[in-house]
Amino acid sequence: MKRIFLLLVITVSAAVCMLFQNGVFAEKSGGAKISIRQETPIAAQKGDQKSEMKQETGKTEAVARPSIQIDKTSLNNGGIVIVTGFAPKGKSVYLEVWSENKVRASRFDAEIDKDTGKRPYILYMTYEMPAYYKIYIPKEQKENLEKIRKEGGKWSYSTALKDLGAEVAFSVPSKIAIERYQATLMGSIIGSRGELLPQMDEKENKKRSMQLVKARFRSPGKVFSPTVEIREDGTFTAKIAIDKGLAPGKYMLRAVVDKEVKSEPVTVENTITFPHIYLTNAGTTLNIFGPFFLSLGISIFGVLMGAGGGFMLNPLLVSIWPLPHTIVAGTVMPTVLFSQGSGIYNYSKINFINWKLGVAIGLATVAGGFIGPKLTELITLEQFKFIFGLILIVLAALMLWQTTPGYLAKNQKEQGILKEFKKRAEEAARAKKG
Amino acid sequence: MKIDFWGHEFRVNVALGCFLGFLMAIVSSMFGFGGGPFMIAIMTVILKLPMYVSVGSSLLAIFFNTLMGTTRHYQFGNFDLVFFLVMFPAAILGGFIAPQIAKRISPITVKRIAVVGLLLLALNLLGLY
Repeated sequence: MKRIFLLLVITVSAAVCMLFQNGVFAEKSGGAKISIRQETPIAAQKGDQKSEMKQETGKTEAVARPSIQIDKTSLNNGGIVIVTGFAPKGKSVYLEVWSENKVRASRFDAEIDKDTGKRPYILYMTYEMPAYYKIYIPKEQKENLEKIRKEGGKWSYSTALKDLGAEVAFSVPSKIAIERYQATLMGSIIGSRGELLPQMDEKENKKRSMQLVKARFRSPGKVFSPTVEIREDGTFTAKIAIDKGLAPGKYMLRAVVDKEVKSEPVTVENTITFPHIYLTNAGTTLNIFGPFFLSLGISIFGVLMGAGGGFMLNPLLVSIWPLPHTIVAGTVMPTVLFSQGSGIYNYSKINFINWKLGVAIGLATVAGGFIGPKLTELITLEQFKFIFGLILIVLAALMLWQTTPGYLAKNQKEQGILKEFKKRAEEAARAKKG
Repeated sequence: MKIDFWGHEFRVNVALGCFLGFLMAIVSSMFGFGGGPFMIAIMTVILKLPMYVSVGSSLLAIFFNTLMGTTRHYQFGNFDLVFFLVMFPAAILGGFIAPQIAKRISPITVKRIAVVGLLLLALNLLGLY
């Protein structure tokens, strides 16, 4: 028992030391600051808009601002909002729709820079990406959108904006605060994000925010929808479908004709009720019974086949629900801690753990566990799935080998010895008590 | 390194074990699984230890990894408390139900089903079907 305590003390103190070194406590207060800051830009933005608009009405009275109305102001876990409005005749109308909820988005830039020919290795990160962001484009653009869809995973959000003429509507994400870190090989090995680079100027921020929009929402269908119907007299209608499983809270809608010609935003409140719960870190609303029963089934199956549930749970979670892989990896891992801990306790009671061997290899795995989580955020979901597929094939081969006759014969012999040892251990424990 | 297990002595190449354990830990913490089967495979196949030595000690070895990985994921903001609270009780409940079922079915059948399931899932992830 003493050994266990000693071990725990060592690991905990080591962990605390590392936390201090990495400045997680400092980082946390930074996080708090960010959340306070989140409030202000909205207010400031609104103020800005108003003043801008006043100026506009002063300067460009020729182009009137579009008007916008919605048929309802509240939704229950998604629904359809019909938007109607009036815009100057013959102009294209875009609807910019975003959620007030903010989520994290990150992108690791390791592509060769066209100008310098070098790989920049910069990690872009924001905590202010709207949990929902979509630009509704005129129906006439449907074919263009199809073209972009056909490009597959390599589509570019900024070119798509240009091709669809939607550049004028893109404004909310361009103002988010983006942190960027210069990653180095050494930094990644010791597990730091790298050096925080100075803030970008407005233009650069806008460009990077577009890439982050793609990193967060992945497919063109998630950020564009060709549903705005414009009639000759300038009236327009659009069906805004807020899907199930999106963030609760306020959704803002704004009609945009030109960069300077925008309507005031109108808001729709989306409420969700139990058993749907919004995961703030993941930015997704889920019916909690889904993951509950999935992890129940998988963990039963996992115990039966002698492997932890994580192998199957992680890929299924990212495939079924729109969850970021970083959150899935980071949240599933602690759930196995308990079963591992109780396993160790049970084996240690019957003296079935070789501490020298376990700790020696354990120390090596601590180093590995320090590096791994850093790498999770550097890969995309597609890469995550692909590598996981390869891992599962190796695991399947391992399992298959465990059902071959040769292995079974050997295993039977060892199981006999194992039982013998267990018996002895139990007797020894009883003798101690008696 | 020599290790002693209930009066039996084994010789183990710890350097190799540590190196492989290190690599496995990177992958397992990166993708968020425990890694028990891989650790047992390393100990039994490569370090040539018998199963009965591996079961307990491999658990201890990966426990370190999981503890560190969890801390690091938390540090990078990858941990969602609500999501955790949904899955954690399910995992514990599963741990209680599973032994009841295990008495009734043969582990070999389960493993064969698992092989098929894993392969299907793997092919799906690789985008092959």
